[in-house]
Amino acid sequence: MKGFTPLILGICATLAFSWMGLAFIPNLQIGHLDPQTDEEGKDAYPVPKSGMAERGRRIYAANGCFYCHSQQVRADYAGSDIERKWGERRSAPRDYIFERPVELGKMRMGPDLANIGHRAPAEDQNAPAQGSPAPAVAPSAANASPTPGGSAAPGAVTANQAPKPQGTPTAVPSTATASLAAAASPPASPSGKTQVAASPSPAIAAGSPANANVANAAPAGPSPPAPATPDAGTTLASLPTDSPQAYSAAWHHQHLYSPRSINVDSNMPAYKFLYVKRPVSGQVSARALKLRGEEAPREGWEIVPSYDAECLVAYLMSLDQSHPLKEVKSAAPAPTSPSPGKSAK
Amino acid sequence: MDYGETEEVQNVHAAIQREKTEPRVGLEPLSIWLIVVYGLAIFFGGAYLGRFSGNFSGDSLDPYAGEQMAKKSAGPGQAGGEQAAQLSPAERGKKIFLANCATCHQANGLGVPGQYPPLAGSEFTTGGSRRPAMIVLKGLQGPVKVKGQQFGTAVMQPWDKTLTDQRIADVLTYERSDWGNKASPVTPEQIAALRKELASHPESFTEKDILAVPDEDLPGGGAPAGAPPSGSPPAQTPGAQPPKP
Amino acid sequence: MNSAASATDPTEIPLKAPSSVTDLTAGDVSQVERALIDASTRVPVLMFYTSALAWLLLGTILAGFTSFKLHSPDLFSNVAFLTWGRIRPAHVNVMLYGWASMVGIGTAIWLMARLCRTTLRHPLLLVAGGVFWNLGVLLGVGGILAGDSTGYNWLEFPLYAAITLFVAYSLIVSWAVLMFRFRRGGPIYITQWYLLAAFLWFPWIYLAAQTMLFVVPVQGVLQAAVDWWYANNLLFLWFGSLGLGTAYYMIPKVIGRPVYSYHLAAIGFWSYALFASWTGMQRLIDGPFPAWMVTASIAAMILALIPVATVGLNHHMTMRDYFPLMRYSPTLRFTVFGAMSYTVFSVLGVMISLRSFARFLQFSEVSIAYSHLGLYAFFTMIMFGAMYYIVPRLVGREWRYSSLIKLHFWSSVYGIALMTLMLLAGGLVQGLNMDNPTLAFTESTQSVLPYLRGRSLAGVLMTVAHFTFAYHFGLMLFGLGRTASVPTFLNPVNPDPEEMVAH
Repeated sequence: MKGFTPLILGICATLAFSWMGLAFIPNLQIGHLDPQTDEEGKDAYPVPKSGMAERGRRIYAANGCFYCHSQQVRADYAGSDIERKWGERRSAPRDYIFERPVELGKMRMGPDLANIGHRAPAEDQNAPAQGSPAPAVAPSAANASPTPGGSAAPGAVTANQAPKPQGTPTAVPSTATASLAAAASPPASPSGKTQVAASPSPAIAAGSPANANVANAAPAGPSPPAPATPDAGTTLASLPTDSPQAYSAAWHHQHLYSPRSINVDSNMPAYKFLYVKRPVSGQVSARALKLRGEEAPREGWEIVPSYDAECLVAYLMSLDQSHPLKEVKSAAPAPTSPSPGKSAK
Repeated sequence: MDYGETEEVQNVHAAIQREKTEPRVGLEPLSIWLIVVYGLAIFFGGAYLGRFSGNFSGDSLDPYAGEQMAKKSAGPGQAGGEQAAQLSPAERGKKIFLANCATCHQANGLGVPGQYPPLAGSEFTTGGSRRPAMIVLKGLQGPVKVKGQQFGTAVMQPWDKTLTDQRIADVLTYERSDWGNKASPVTPEQIAALRKELASHPESFTEKDILAVPDEDLPGGGAPAGAPPSGSPPAQTPGAQPPKP
Repeated sequence: MNSAASATDPTEIPLKAPSSVTDLTAGDVSQVERALIDASTRVPVLMFYTSALAWLLLGTILAGFTSFKLHSPDLFSNVAFLTWGRIRPAHVNVMLYGWASMVGIGTAIWLMARLCRTTLRHPLLLVAGGVFWNLGVLLGVGGILAGDSTGYNWLEFPLYAAITLFVAYSLIVSWAVLMFRFRRGGPIYITQWYLLAAFLWFPWIYLAAQTMLFVVPVQGVLQAAVDWWYANNLLFLWFGSLGLGTAYYMIPKVIGRPVYSYHLAAIGFWSYALFASWTGMQRLIDGPFPAWMVTASIAAMILALIPVATVGLNHHMTMRDYFPLMRYSPTLRFTVFGAMSYTVFSVLGVMISLRSFARFLQFSEVSIAYSHLGLYAFFTMIMFGAMYYIVPRLVGREWRYSSLIKLHFWSSVYGIALMTLMLLAGGLVQGLNMDNPTLAFTESTQSVLPYLRGRSLAGVLMTVAHFTFAYHFGLMLFGLGRTASVPTFLNPVNPDPEEMVAH
C-alpha cells in the first residue's frame, strides 16, 4: 500500500457500505411498521405484551432459551415448519414489531415456539397465568368505550398510534381474541398467590389505550378464535394420561420443572431453580405442580412456581402468530383478511 | 523476573539474532486461473443475487417473488394474485386426491367393491356440495349405501385437522368434475363456513347424519349450480376475482 | 537487514553464537533495534497473553459443562447460574472477548511495533487498557451467569460490561494510532493493513451494534439483522483480519522468503473488506426478512471466495518448497494449519449458506461446527503459532519441551477435527430428520446425541491441549525456559539445510 490515507479511507468506506446495505436501508424499508388493522381500524395485530409476559421475555432471554428454540416459522417451500404445525403461515417482520429483544433463535434443539401460545387448549389460550386478573378485565373493558386516556378513539390504532414497546409495560396480554377466549374461561382461582399478588402488573386493570382498543375491536371484529385444534403434535407420544393438557399453562410449568416427566426423549434442561419448594400451609396451593413419581415432593410439601416462572409461562402463552397478515399467504386463509394470499402488491 | 534485561544491549537474545529479515513482498503477477476463479465467483454471486432478490422490495419475503412477477406480467390472462394459482383448482385437487384419497377410493374414483365406495357417479359426490364436504371434513363410519351397493366395513377418517380449507375445496372441486361427474365447484370460503358450523360436532358422521341434511350446495358458492336447485346467489369464484390493489 | 546468508537459510539455526557479537554491522543495528522494540512490548504483550490464556482455560471448562449438559441435561438443574442457557453464552463470550480478542490484541501489539519499527510508547496505557478489558469480560461473564444476559447472540454482555469493554478498547486503539504516528520508513506491509483495519472495524461494528440494539433500538426483526451483521463481522473483520494479518507475517518471517505477490495481497485484502463485511444475514435464511437482505449476504459469501482463493494462493506460493519446514518449526506448523483451515472454513460457509442446503442445515449443529472452524481451527491455531514465535523473544528463553509442543499441536488438531466432523455429521442427520415432518421432532434431537457425545470427547482432547500449553507458557513466564541459542524444534534438525529443503 502506497499511502496511509487511502488505506484508512478504504477501510472506512467498505464497512460504511456494508452498514448502509444491511442496517440502514433495511431500517428504511421495514424499520417503521405499524400494527395491521382491518378496514374499520379494529382488530389490531400485533399488540404489545402485558407486564408479566414482557418480564417473561427477559427470563426467556436471560436463561438462554433462544439457543435451542427458534421463534420463526419458515415458508412452506423452505422447510417443514408448517407441516410440523409450528404455524399456519410463515413469520413476517410485522409479527415482531413489539419484540425487544427479538428472539428469532438460531438453533432447534427444541421445537419452534412462534405459536406455542396459540397451540394451547382453547379455554387456556391467552390467559397469561393462573390467577392473573387480566382476562377477567377484558370483557368489561370491551363495553366501556370511552377510554381513560380520553384521546384514544376506537380507531386510534389505525392512525399509527400504536403503543410503542419501550417504557412501561401496558396493554392487555392478548391478541384480539382475548376477550372471546376470556369470556369462555372460568375465572382463574386467585387463591394461593403469594408472590404474584405482591406485584400485579400495574397497567392491566387501568384500561390503557391499547387495552381499550383491543377490547373494542374484539366484539366487532369477526376474527374468530382460531380453530381450536389441541394439536398434540408428535412430541407427546409418550404423554402419560393424567398429565395436564398439552401446552396449557400447567403443562408448561410441569415441563419446565421436569421435562422428562412429560417426554422421556426430551433433552431440555430442567429449570427447577424457577420453582419454590415449601411446606404446605393449610391447603395445597392451587398453583402447586401436580407431579408424580420421583419428582413429587414429600408429603406435606409442595412445589409452586416463582414469580419468574409465572412470567415465563405468561410469555410463552402469549406467543401467537396465528393472526393473518396481509403480506403473507396463510395456509388456512382467514375470512378477516381482506385480500388473502397476496404477498406482492 | 530476569528476562535478560541486565545484560548488555548488544548481547541480544539468540532468537532475535537468528531470526529472518522482516517480511517483504514479492511482485509476482496474477495467474490467469485466478482471474477465471474471480469471474466464476462474480458470475455465480451476481446470478444468485438476481435470482433470489425478491426485486429488492422490503415487502417481498419470498425470494422467488421476482420470478413470480416476471411470470405474471408475461401472462396477462392469469387472474388472481394468488401464488398457488398457477394450477386450476381441479388440477390442484387432483394432486391432493392422489396423495390422500386414492389409496381407498382409487385413482379412477371407482373405489373397491364392498369396501370403499366409488366417487365416480356417486349420488353423494355429484349432488349438492354440502354432503360431500361434511363427509370429507368429519369422516364417515358405519354402513352406507352408494349407487345401490352396500358398503360399511371401512371407516373414513376426518380430514379437518389435516387439510386446509383451500385443499378440501380443491379436492372436492376435482372429485365433482372428473370421471364424468359434473357438479358445481367448491370454494375455500364455503368450506371455512361449514367448518365453523361443524366445529362442535363430534368426530365422524354416519349415513343417517348425512341423509338428514338437505342435498343442497353450500351457501356462498359460485358458478352455475349443478343438479339441485339452491338459493345460493350467483357469486364469482375468488379465482376469477380481479386482484385487489 | 540481516546478512545475506540468512536469506537462503531455511532453518532457524543461528549463524553465530550470541555472545560473539562485538562489532556493530548493519545487521547488528537492526538486531539491537528489534531487541529494544521487543523489550518495550514485553509487559503489555505478556499481560495480554497471560490474561488470554486464563480466559481460555475458563472458557474450556465452561465449554465442557456446555457440551456434557447437552446430552446429560439433568446435571445441576437446581443451580440457576449453571443452567445450560447461561453456561453456553458464558463460554462463547469468554472465548470471544476473553481469549480470542485478548490474544489477538497482544499479538497485534507486537506485530505493529515490529513492523512500524518503533518502540512501544506509553506501555502503561496498554496495560490499563488490558486491565479494563479484563474487568469488562469479568463483569460480562458474571452478568450472564447471574441472569443478566441481553438475549442477543454474541452480544450477551450486559450494557455495563459492554461500556467497560469499550473504554478499554479506546485506550488500546489510541495506542495503535500513536504507534502509526511514529512509524519509520518503508511501505506499509500487508500485515499492517489487516491490523489497522481490524483496529478500526472493531469499534465501529461494536458501537453500531450497541447503539442500534440498546441506545436507539431498531424495530423488531431488524435487531436480529443488526445482531447477525455484528456477529459475522466480528468473525470476519475482527478475528479474520487479525488472523490473516498474523499469518501474513509469520509465514514469510519464519521461512525467510518474501510473500509471493503484492498484487494478490492487495486484491485479497480489498475484496475481503468489500465482501466479507456484507455477510451475516445468511444465518437468517427464510426468516422474517425481505428476501434481498438474505440473498445479498449469500451472494457476499460466494463473492468472499475471491479473497479466500487469493489469500490461499498467496500463502501457498510463499510456502512452496518450504512445506517440509513444518516438521521442525512449531510456529509454521500451527500457522499453516490455521491458514489452511481458513479455506475450509470459507468453503463450508458458502455451502451451508445456499438456500437449498440451508433448508436442512440452518437450525442444526452444523452452524456450531462452522463457528468452531473459524474461531478455533483458523484463528486460535494461528494465534498459538504466533505465541510460539513471540513469547521466546519476550522472555529471553526458549520453549522448554518439544514434547509438550507436539502434544499441544496434535491434541488440538485431533480435537478440532473430531469436533468438526462430529458436528457436521450430527448436524446433517439432525437437519434431515427435522425436515421430515413424518418423524417426531425429538427424533432429530435424539439422533444427534451420539454425535454430541463424540463432540464431548473432542472437547476432552482440546482441554488437554489447552492445559498443556498453559503449563508450558507458565514455565516460560517464570523464566524456566531453556537458555539455548537454538530454538525448540519439534523434531531434531537435519544438520544439512540444503537437504532439508529437498525433503
